[in-house]
Amino acid sequence: MAILERPAIYEGTRIPSPIPTVLQVPDELREGGDILQVNFGPNHPSTHGVLRLIVDLNGEEVVGLEAVIGYLHTGFEKNMEQKTWWKAITYPERIDYVAFQNNEYVFVAAIEKLLGLDIPPKAVWMRTLLNELNRLHSHLVWLGTSGLELGAISMFWYAFREREQILDLFELVTGYRMHTRYFQAGGLAEDVPRGFYPECRKFVEWMPKAIDDYEALLSRNEIWLERTKGIGLLSAEDAIALGQSGPVLRASGVDWDLRKAEPYLAYDQVDFDVPVYPNGDVYDRYKVHVDEMRQSVRIVAQCLDVLEGMEGEPWIVDDRKIVLPPREELHTSMESLIHHFKIVTEGYRVPEGEVYVAIEAPRGEMGCYVVSDGGPRPWRVKFRGTSFVALEATATCMSNALVADLIAIVGSLDTVMGEVDR
Amino acid sequence: MPGYVSEKEAHGEQTVVVEPGQLVEAALHLRDEEGFSFLSDISATDYLGWGQKGVAGYIGTTTGRDLNRPAAQGFQILPELKPKRFSMSYHLLALRPGAPRLRLQVWVEDGEPVPSVVEVWPTADWHEREAYDLMGIRIEGHPNLARILMDDDWEGHPLRKDYPIGGEPVRFSSEE
Amino acid sequence: MAVNRPLRDYGLKSERVLWRGKGPSSFEDEVEGLEQRLGLTTLEKAVAWAQTKSMWPDTFGLACCAIEMMAIVSARYDIARFGMEAFRASPRQADLLIVSGRVAHKMAAPLRQIYDQMLEPKWVIAMGACASSGGMFNNYTTLQGVDKIVAVDVYVPGCPPRPEALMEGIIRLHERILAGIPPAYEVRGVAS
Repeated sequence: MAILERPAIYEGTRIPSPIPTVLQVPDELREGGDILQVNFGPNHPSTHGVLRLIVDLNGEEVVGLEAVIGYLHTGFEKNMEQKTWWKAITYPERIDYVAFQNNEYVFVAAIEKLLGLDIPPKAVWMRTLLNELNRLHSHLVWLGTSGLELGAISMFWYAFREREQILDLFELVTGYRMHTRYFQAGGLAEDVPRGFYPECRKFVEWMPKAIDDYEALLSRNEIWLERTKGIGLLSAEDAIALGQSGPVLRASGVDWDLRKAEPYLAYDQVDFDVPVYPNGDVYDRYKVHVDEMRQSVRIVAQCLDVLEGMEGEPWIVDDRKIVLPPREELHTSMESLIHHFKIVTEGYRVPEGEVYVAIEAPRGEMGCYVVSDGGPRPWRVKFRGTSFVALEATATCMSNALVADLIAIVGSLDTVMGEVDR
Repeated sequence: MPGYVSEKEAHGEQTVVVEPGQLVEAALHLRDEEGFSFLSDISATDYLGWGQKGVAGYIGTTTGRDLNRPAAQGFQILPELKPKRFSMSYHLLALRPGAPRLRLQVWVEDGEPVPSVVEVWPTADWHEREAYDLMGIRIEGHPNLARILMDDDWEGHPLRKDYPIGGEPVRFSSEE
Repeated sequence: MAVNRPLRDYGLKSERVLWRGKGPSSFEDEVEGLEQRLGLTTLEKAVAWAQTKSMWPDTFGLACCAIEMMAIVSARYDIARFGMEAFRASPRQADLLIVSGRVAHKMAAPLRQIYDQMLEPKWVIAMGACASSGGMFNNYTTLQGVDKIVAVDVYVPGCPPRPEALMEGIIRLHERILAGIPPAYEVRGVAS
């Protein structure tokens, strides 16, 4: 890890104490000035979902902040303990509902780590491609909604135009736009359909021009610069202490990306750069997101080059104790019938153990801790939601912020409430 | 390492178990001397009823079944017993090339408190609150131990194994 | 608006002048039909027509379905052609509450407050499986169907429903209103 040479954003630490996640009004201000406590309630157009912020204002300045979460707690982890390993894969997708295939992948990777499986190369490359398309999707939704909140309403339309193209690609491959459920333990659920590669090529050729459009709209826009430069500063040491990862960490000058540091899937075989910016402000987080989109397009193009030569290769591992047999075999082979029945009704068994798998989801490090007792159901599944940790940094970023900056800062931390509340 | 009890390596991951009483010293040692400055995650697990369902265990591997393992298909294979009911796993990461990871684990019984590591890694704040809220593990020394995901007046700790899944029985229209 | 004489009497004779013997054109038939329809307009039908043509939704996106709800606002599944692109942040200015996403018990109280703050007439669409019935989350913390606390007019299934599916739900709601069916809270009481 390298920390870029940067101007000292601020000296020392700005993490509030004693509670690191709550900005408390200093006593002298509470007695002297008039403090107005405002509730940015769970239903708010700009808080990216059901987040509740209790904000103390002294005029326009934010002097106190507390985040209340839990309005979307769905009990994923307990529900997954009731289902077999196969059926439980549908749950993680809904946790971070914007980067759904990354969540699916992290849970499937944990199962595969416990099983000790060797995934066929076609599945590895296809998973990489879909994860990167999902990264593009997630960044587009972020860009669109962030722009919308800060007043750049046109950004929303442009971002969602490209998003529709990505969702068309997902529908072509998996049959569904969102929450695709395409990854299985061992590979992919089905082979890549005909006609996907040319469509993806067309998208890859179109996308860089679209990103140029977005940059033309925002990157040197005076209003955007005024609203985002120097706002929401977070230094590298504070970011590491607060467990930040992903674009927030990279915008604070720390060169850390799990795709390069701890390569998984096919990331060690593709060529891409990791954007790092020195000032930890909202503008740098925006730049990191946009540059990451460009790099994602590069990765998708390279995956396509490899995949186009892989027609007819297996897309899932050969182990019939875990993978359903092909349907034609069910008519002729008794063992296939029995295995199909047992896998569907009772579920395959995963050896006993505990693993923690972490990937670089669009928002940062997404982790999955799985404990298995050797049976057909997970014993404990815990997801390290990136946004859960990202929200812990709101109080630190909020020093010397005005009310208008509050929206920009909370938006730049790129939170999705499904990940926070699980 | 202060408070060291045991260590284990499995699936490419290293787990170190320490005494709960000396967790903070162990954490400081790991952060300052070994360089594990990034706390990824704190997971609490409830092992009530572990090994009692008698699952038959893993039947085969990708390269074939181990025919020499005794009682490979009966209910005699039980997972290894755990020392206490709850485990708190702290997943640490060192931000250097190679990304070394470590799992720091403590084992506690119901009602036994775990010291807070908020002073060592401020990100532990919400993770520990979640462990308290959903599992009922009391964290000692935490500046703001309150429920975080459930309602403030919720009774019980939902992710425990003796807490029911809840919900409603599904009604089918033919039953009416 | 009542029309006393057919428009034919006011003019529209040019075709007959040029083409003797030609009967009424399709345009004239349409105009006659329109006059007959408009001539029978009652006040309620006009009010129902106005209600459907610019029903403003409230921003109540909770989870994954909210992303698909944002997709119908976007250019491809343009909901502005129905006059509904103005999502109001304040429930006092909104007519339609699209509950999109899973509702936790903690969120049930704010949901009911928002519903109470809306002025009558108000309609509710339960978008997605989680809002209709709890979806795949049958557990201690998810409200098993939003119709336990508010009165729902249209349920849109899907996880998440495609934007076209939500649009069908909205259009069915419009058809219900045009047919004269009262909003759900009158049919079922305040909550079903």
